Amino acid sequence: MEVLLPISAGIKTPTSSARKLQTPVSGSITGLGATAVSSIALPLAFMVTGLVALFTVGVWLMVQPEILSTYHYSPSAVAITHLFVLGWLCSMVMGAMYQLIPVALETKLYSERLVLPQWMLHVAGFIGMVLAFRVWNMKFVGWFGSIFATGVCLFIYNIIRTLLRIPKWNVVALSVTSALAWVLLTITAGLLMTAAKTAHANFMFHFNPLGTMHTHAHLGIVGFFTMLIVGVSYKLIPMFTLSEMQNGSRAVASIVLLNIGLVGSLFSILLQSIFKPLFALVVIIALAIYGWEIITILRARKRRALDWGVRYFLTAIGLLVPLSLLALVLSWPRLPLNPFTGQLENVYGFVSLIGVVSLAVIGMLYKIIPFLVWFGAYSKHIGKAQVPALAEMYSASLQLLGYWLFLVALAVTIFGILISSAMIVRIGSVLFAASLTTLAVNVGKILSHYFRPKLTPLVAPKKFNAL
Amino acid sequence: MSATPNESVVLETLSQIIDPEIGCNIVDLGLIYRVAIVEGIVKVTMTLTTPGCPMHESISQGVKSALLNLEGVTGVEVEVVWDPPWHPSLMSEQARIALRVGNF
Repeated sequence: MEVLLPISAGIKTPTSSARKLQTPVSGSITGLGATAVSSIALPLAFMVTGLVALFTVGVWLMVQPEILSTYHYSPSAVAITHLFVLGWLCSMVMGAMYQLIPVALETKLYSERLVLPQWMLHVAGFIGMVLAFRVWNMKFVGWFGSIFATGVCLFIYNIIRTLLRIPKWNVVALSVTSALAWVLLTITAGLLMTAAKTAHANFMFHFNPLGTMHTHAHLGIVGFFTMLIVGVSYKLIPMFTLSEMQNGSRAVASIVLLNIGLVGSLFSILLQSIFKPLFALVVIIALAIYGWEIITILRARKRRALDWGVRYFLTAIGLLVPLSLLALVLSWPRLPLNPFTGQLENVYGFVSLIGVVSLAVIGMLYKIIPFLVWFGAYSKHIGKAQVPALAEMYSASLQLLGYWLFLVALAVTIFGILISSAMIVRIGSVLFAASLTTLAVNVGKILSHYFRPKLTPLVAPKKFNAL
Repeated sequence: MSATPNESVVLETLSQIIDPEIGCNIVDLGLIYRVAIVEGIVKVTMTLTTPGCPMHESISQGVKSALLNLEGVTGVEVEVVWDPPWHPSLMSEQARIALRVGNF
């Protein structure tokens, strides 16, 4: 007896395109997809590390709001920025990449063994760096920075070896490779700056210190984080909205132009050249092409309702528009160097790191953490009991509240920075803390499934028509 | 010798397995392409919403587990195919309405 469902008319007889499952029911998970997350503990460790760092930043800003309401070249500003970027963003992005890259590239991670040592080097490195920056001990910054860099090299090696496994190169692989190159350059620049301050790299004195700092920041924010957001969203946005990439050439063009803009910006910012606006414009054109493709993907989507995880992500992308305009203004060579310009630079850094990268990360976090916990708690129960959907593992109302609180906090803090008001920045920080509390409660709800899975028995079929 | 369940029982059983990301059962989602039952062995040909789907092994193993629990089923073979690729048009009308998926 055989039942052919409507689609089966188009199925080819199982051949090479079919993968026959031969493992026994109780056998080990060794298939294509499951290898992506064979161990959920380590990606989760990165994410918990990231959340702890984020809350530490929130508390720090509430206690010391002057960090944002005054110019950003101070030990506290540099320390908190590294806590935010390395502790929160890098932890989240690296943890997510260990899970997402195999999914996005349809392969398996090269080595799970390398993840634990990287996490240990990562945590030891960034905590040491933040403390050393806080007391402005550049020798310690160099030591802990080298520990952190060693961890990043393990990460890069693992991802590169993973990329070498993919049968067909695509735009996601191109963007990930680019991002890895840029993060390596960012870290090299950081270590060279540290070496210069401890008099081991005298050639660095040829460059303007602010120029090198801005180059370092720019490479990290645009080269690593933005590049990854752009590339990975070409896979994830169609996947989450039931759509398809509309124009592959357009997607590739956005990555290529982003790389060209980054190379130009690297030299023009470092050398304080008059070509800064030109290369800023190239980056903006790349992002515009990216936005164009995302809009066409969304227009072609089959799932009309967008979940809030996706909305967080799309809002972050939308914030690239005002950010790009601000970038163009700040790149202008004849811009007067006054306190207001300094505050505009603070706004630029703040919107980049919090408005764009963090909001995008939180959106993806609402996808990744439920999946990792679900995989650990429920995957072995499928077919044996009824298990919850990912969206049932947390509160959508809290997610919505967190979204609006985040946007209000962003607006209030930007206003506080612009008028150099520590009080308003503190109010913004409190609002951010409220938004992050909704996130913390939801993460707690999600993690509770890991310790107390919510299973209900399968219902026996009503009809049992024996043959 | 125990009785073998028919295809409607098989599909009803499989409809209790969800794709956790989309929040819809795999039958209404249109992931089950073919069911064949021969002498107590159930052969299921199915797909997933996207190649590289991290739920791949979980869902296909879940299909095996669920069907092996049925009385009269002595074996289950699951084949995951990518041709033809899954498309939202394969979803049932009920699932499309519940998930607000557009027409085609």
